Amino acid sequence: MSDLTPLAVLAVALGGAAAVAVLEQLVAGARPAPIALARSAAWTLRQPLSRPAVRDSWLFHLAPGLLLVAAVGALAFVPWAPGFRGIDLSTGAIAFPAALAYVTPAIFMAGWGAGRPLAVVGAFRWLALMLAYAMPLAMVITAVAAPAGSLRPADIVEVQHAVPMALAQPLALALWLPAVAAVCFLPPFDLPQAGSELGGGAFGEYRGLDAALVALAQKVLVVAVSGMTATLFLSGWHGPLLPPALWMALKTIAVAALLLSAGRRLPRLEIDRVLSLAWKVANPLAILAIVWAGLLTLVFYV
Amino acid sequence: MSDLGSALVFWPAAALMLVTGLYVFITSSMARAGLLLLAALGFEGLVFLALASEFLGVLQLLMMSGEMVIMVFFMVMFMPDPGGLMGMDMVHQKRRSAAVAAGAGVALALVAVLTDWPARVVGTDAPDVRAIGFEVMGRSMLTFLFAAMTILFAMVGGVLLAKRGGRYG
Repeated sequence: MSDLTPLAVLAVALGGAAAVAVLEQLVAGARPAPIALARSAAWTLRQPLSRPAVRDSWLFHLAPGLLLVAAVGALAFVPWAPGFRGIDLSTGAIAFPAALAYVTPAIFMAGWGAGRPLAVVGAFRWLALMLAYAMPLAMVITAVAAPAGSLRPADIVEVQHAVPMALAQPLALALWLPAVAAVCFLPPFDLPQAGSELGGGAFGEYRGLDAALVALAQKVLVVAVSGMTATLFLSGWHGPLLPPALWMALKTIAVAALLLSAGRRLPRLEIDRVLSLAWKVANPLAILAIVWAGLLTLVFYV
Repeated sequence: MSDLGSALVFWPAAALMLVTGLYVFITSSMARAGLLLLAALGFEGLVFLALASEFLGVLQLLMMSGEMVIMVFFMVMFMPDPGGLMGMDMVHQKRRSAAVAAGAGVALALVAVLTDWPARVVGTDAPDVRAIGFEVMGRSMLTFLFAAMTILFAMVGGVLLAKRGGRYG
């Protein structure tokens, strides 16, 4: 990690968020219009701050910032190339969900702080959703880290130089993808905001710059989880011919496109059904994935 | 991290940890108290990171977030005035608890200052580290597992007792 790493991570966050915005238009079947997007973003930035009077105002006003900090923090642990590994911790694979964990208080603060009924319902739903995705996410990370014998994302990339983890552990990938879609509160897991159902839910009272921060944070979250998916399952920067960073970018874009297009095709899941699926199906399967990872490690990787 | 970097994280994080910890008892809202406690514990995680306890710090940051927000949820469910709209006082038996807190604080500070802490840096392959590892993963494992299973059964049992069939059975 050099002194420039934080700046580079911020640049990846902003550039990636812009790419996700264009990708959203592509996935929706619209012609990508980056200039119109940039113009609307600039228009939002020029608006004066308009903030509703809410009871827990500091919770309400801190929430978008905390959401963005959590998203950029998670992004910082994604290694993009052998020379640019973000914040290269020996516990990076745990630090990643540790940063994502702060999405939880942020959304709770947004909903509770607004103090409007639908916003509070959105916040409480998010807590239930967190209880659904957190365990599969953590267990899958354990399963993927086992063959590498290390929690450093770069080591997990290196152990996949021959076989990507997506082929060695398809079950873990199948559990990981819905869990990360839920972390980003993307449809079909857009339960805390649920536009058509809760009128914006936890984020319903945000306007102007605050709303833009929330939207930016969600896009950075998509970049972070897509990058981590490429790192943990698609052998990261490994690939023939092209330079490592380009491979990583292509894989990240592919995962982000998959997440976004799945969200457009699947109906919103109900929270009781998500919880029941998570605890009756995903968690037992995640334990199975850990057992599989252990066997795999003992036979092929030790 | 360099010494300057550590100091730049340690002192602000430690100060904010104390301030947010104090405000837990000053606010009258359950939600604010719980989130302030989360802030205090999160800053404690940053203090661990600044002291080069990487695993402990990351784990603290990871575990506390969800736990504290769930705790807020339970307090909102069970307390009569979760939003602090009636200005409920968070403190009871003020004088006695202040005396106990001051006594415990002084005792802990004395232990921290007067103990003859070992100055040597222990490598990851040192015999004491190995011994701790074997202790935790060996003889003590049964105790840990038993405690974990007891907590899990208590949680599942509590949910079953409180449950009244949802929409999907």
